[in-house]
Amino acid sequence: MTDLVGRSAIAKAGRDPASAWRHVDLTLVLSTVSICALGVLMVFSATRHRLGGGTTTTYYMERQFVFALLGVGLMVLVAVVDYRRLRDLSAVAYVAMLLILAAVVSPLGRNSKGAQAWFQVGSYELQPSEISKIVLIVVLASYIGARSSAGERSAVGRLHLRRFLVILVLAGLPVGLIMLQPDLGTALVFGAILFTVLVVAGAKGRHLAVLGMAAVVVVAAVLHFGVLKRFQQDRLTVFLDPTQKVQGPGFNLNQSKIAIGSGGIQGKGLFKGTQTNLAYVPEQHTDFIFTAVGEELGFVGSALLLVLFALVLWRTWRTAALASDATGSLLCIGVLAMFMFQLFENVGMTMGIMPITGIPLPFMSYGGSAMLASWAGIGLVLNVHMRRFA
Amino acid sequence: MNEVSRLRLVIVGVFVMSLFAALLGRLWYLQVLDSPTFVRAAVQNQIRVVCEPAPRGRILDRSGAVLVANAVSQAVTLDRTSATKHPEVVDRLAALLGLTTDVVRKELADPRYSPFKPVPIQAAVPFDKVAFVMEHADNFLGVDVLPLHGRAYPMGTLAANLLGYVGEMNAAELKDHQPRAPQTDQAVPTPGCPDYGLGDGIGKGGAEAVYDQALRGHPGVARLEVDRKGRVLRVLSHTDPVPGLDLYLTIDANIQKTAEESLVQGLSQARTHKVSNADPRNFIAPAGAATVLDPRDGSVLALASYPTYDPAKFVGGISLADFDRLNNDPNHPLVDRAIAGQYAPGSTFKLVTATAALQRGLITPNTTITDTGVYTIGGKCSGRCQFHNAGNEVLGRVDLPQAITRSSDVYFYGVGDRFWQQRGQFGTMPIQEEARAFGLDQRTGIPLSGEAPGRVSDPDRRKQDHAARPGAFPEANWFAGDNVNLAVGQGQTLVTPLQLANAYATFANGGTLYQPRIALKEARAPDGSPEATVNPTVRAHVDLPPAVRQPVLQGLEGVVSSSTGTAFRAFQGFPLATFPLAGKTGTAQVTGKQDTSVFVAFGPVDAPQYAVSVVLEQAGFGADAAAPVARRIFEVLAGLTPGQIQVQTGGTSA
Repeated sequence: MTDLVGRSAIAKAGRDPASAWRHVDLTLVLSTVSICALGVLMVFSATRHRLGGGTTTTYYMERQFVFALLGVGLMVLVAVVDYRRLRDLSAVAYVAMLLILAAVVSPLGRNSKGAQAWFQVGSYELQPSEISKIVLIVVLASYIGARSSAGERSAVGRLHLRRFLVILVLAGLPVGLIMLQPDLGTALVFGAILFTVLVVAGAKGRHLAVLGMAAVVVVAAVLHFGVLKRFQQDRLTVFLDPTQKVQGPGFNLNQSKIAIGSGGIQGKGLFKGTQTNLAYVPEQHTDFIFTAVGEELGFVGSALLLVLFALVLWRTWRTAALASDATGSLLCIGVLAMFMFQLFENVGMTMGIMPITGIPLPFMSYGGSAMLASWAGIGLVLNVHMRRFA
Repeated sequence: MNEVSRLRLVIVGVFVMSLFAALLGRLWYLQVLDSPTFVRAAVQNQIRVVCEPAPRGRILDRSGAVLVANAVSQAVTLDRTSATKHPEVVDRLAALLGLTTDVVRKELADPRYSPFKPVPIQAAVPFDKVAFVMEHADNFLGVDVLPLHGRAYPMGTLAANLLGYVGEMNAAELKDHQPRAPQTDQAVPTPGCPDYGLGDGIGKGGAEAVYDQALRGHPGVARLEVDRKGRVLRVLSHTDPVPGLDLYLTIDANIQKTAEESLVQGLSQARTHKVSNADPRNFIAPAGAATVLDPRDGSVLALASYPTYDPAKFVGGISLADFDRLNNDPNHPLVDRAIAGQYAPGSTFKLVTATAALQRGLITPNTTITDTGVYTIGGKCSGRCQFHNAGNEVLGRVDLPQAITRSSDVYFYGVGDRFWQQRGQFGTMPIQEEARAFGLDQRTGIPLSGEAPGRVSDPDRRKQDHAARPGAFPEANWFAGDNVNLAVGQGQTLVTPLQLANAYATFANGGTLYQPRIALKEARAPDGSPEATVNPTVRAHVDLPPAVRQPVLQGLEGVVSSSTGTAFRAFQGFPLATFPLAGKTGTAQVTGKQDTSVFVAFGPVDAPQYAVSVVLEQAGFGADAAAPVARRIFEVLAGLTPGQIQVQTGGTSA
């Protein structure tokens, strides 16, 4: 009865069933906000013993909180404009992205931790490759969606070779620029987005197979011909044999596993992790933020975090399935691929089942560019969700 | 549904779920299944245990004079890797320290040093050289100066063999001292500092080894919490080291010093004398030992051995060259002759023979013989049947006291012969039994390692020895001649200087055989309050009724006081009236070597406080070489100022 009453209430209120704001996916937003809040807390836990660029122990936490607020704002902004109108902007955005990525590897950019990936703006470091992921998703979805709505019905095996190749070029140009930094991790995120979008967009099986093999060859070549810095390469391969390089990346990985493993089922309690308090895990507030969760909140907390991520991904996948057109579906699929790849790579890396690359954990790792890009991704999904009947 | 592939969307969804399953599975493994491993690692991560070595206890003499103390000196070390990289530093360092490059290289190659630590090149480096290294650090890459906590010997080489030395613990010693694994319920064992750790110092030989446990104390433990970079964040717990106990020895530094000096003087004097008119070579007199016991409780007052070594050389690890020199020295300075040297006792053994004969009624104090200078075995005889006095002396009519005083071999040959002839009545080995009652043929039990048991042969052992090693012991049977030799301390009988002193101490105190002791008490510094006292230990009693003891004592007193006594000349001028002595000379023939000079005595006779034995290798008659050494020691014991030793010649033979 209640159910019927509820529905009738909505029906009464919503005279116009297409009114976008009636279809905000609250589950998605609340899950994401929860992850983000936990992230701010864990960044505090991991940094409260040091004075960062500022003079207080809350420096990192405060900044992360501001990033999150900005991120929510960006989400709203991205959700407001109908994604079908974003299509018109995609060409401009694409060109702008290429210019910015080219600029960052020019002397305008800033080199840090072995990669030329940042712009210094005041006290902030902007990492354009982060927001480029969102641009790529929009560009791919718009390009494929526009063509399909122009009449060619897309279905399994219907994405023809010419268009397949155009898509590869579209994605290949920014990936090439990112490998100049070099930043293999972000390039792999691009690869994951591209591949997943192609799968769902209906690329032919044999094209996908060739692409997959080519990707393996390219990655092998990158590792073999020394595109990466020595330490980047060591980080990538150390998870295969953690007993090697115990002073360098092996130390990193071991301490990371010790932090997570010593958390046990219930964890040592918030702010009580010895690995976290004594700064045994390098880069803990950024790439290794999951270790703070693992140590202080234990299996219960870590699993809860994964469940929250699962909720976000489920709502994203569901929106892809419900979207009113191919562009909407592919936008969601692109965001899904981005989140899933980063989640699996980042958490897997801290637990020693994936290579160590500098990929942030969405909404959790300290950092403004990644935070904004992640919220923009949620904005895209909301956008599609809100307009699934329109 | 729009035109994207529903099927492929589902595939993506399933793939995403499987990735989640993988992450959760791995998380379960790390945080639930394998968590204890990581918990342990996390604890070990953050805790560093720093061990603070306990100061080792000092070693003092009976009145508190410091024999061994602790000191800090500067040691120069060189890093192996750096030495390989910069060979010129090795040359430079060698030149600075006054060593050759080869010596330094040998030290670097010495496997006794840990491969992970810099190698100590020289200990106790003077300050100006240390300063030079520090001021020219660029020219001395890999060279470091470390404070060296080591032993100091304020009295130099005094009692070195007795004291022993401290060296770095080796793997075998570590194993011997491995503590039992403590039973603990803790999931994460708390690391501590063991009393015995590899590389720690440990007593090697002498009192340092025997009383190591009391001397070493317990290390202090600091458990520190550190961060990733090893910075100390806080001290979790801290216990101060418990210093080792001071060890008070029974040794009297003054007596010890006198004994050592007298030994050196006696030997060097002996070296200036010819063996005999027939043999113009001088005595070699390479080595010797002197012991002073307190017959009242078995306390060792002095235990001197020559040659000795400088224990300071062992501080901070002895250099390879020095160690080789000590080990390859033909006179074995590391051997404590007082307890490990085994010598034929010669006529000093007559105490045993006389006591055995009187106790068993073979003779009475009045039994006399006519000493014609030669003794012929009665009845049927095989092998050697005629035995001469040393020097073929003819002493005429002698009773037992005179036979002791004048050292008549013929008298005791007869005792030995008759014991053997009447073995139906006295058994096959009455002399050996008496010898064992006086503590011979067995270790005295002095708490020092390396003590030799000595040897008193008998018919049974002769058979065993022959069966075991027929080459070394060609004869399987015991003959009357063997008993004759045994009676005067020749043949295969061997004693240590300590055994000899202890046998006479037993006679002196009326028959109580003590286990010699070197420690009085273990005490907590600095007030010297005793933690443990070492009590005298009685091992056995020898039955010495006046009828037995008196005539023997009379004979022993005559040795030094009677004008016919063998050591009369050596003790001329000694205040025997106020400090009466009883003693016995001994001259032992050793195949292929010059005679061993032996003297043993005790005094004051009425209430003996000291028993002194002196043995000088290849130094001639006991009366000539050893007796003057003993006299000089007694001069100090009697409160006199000791004189210079003048070895006499032409004294009586035995």
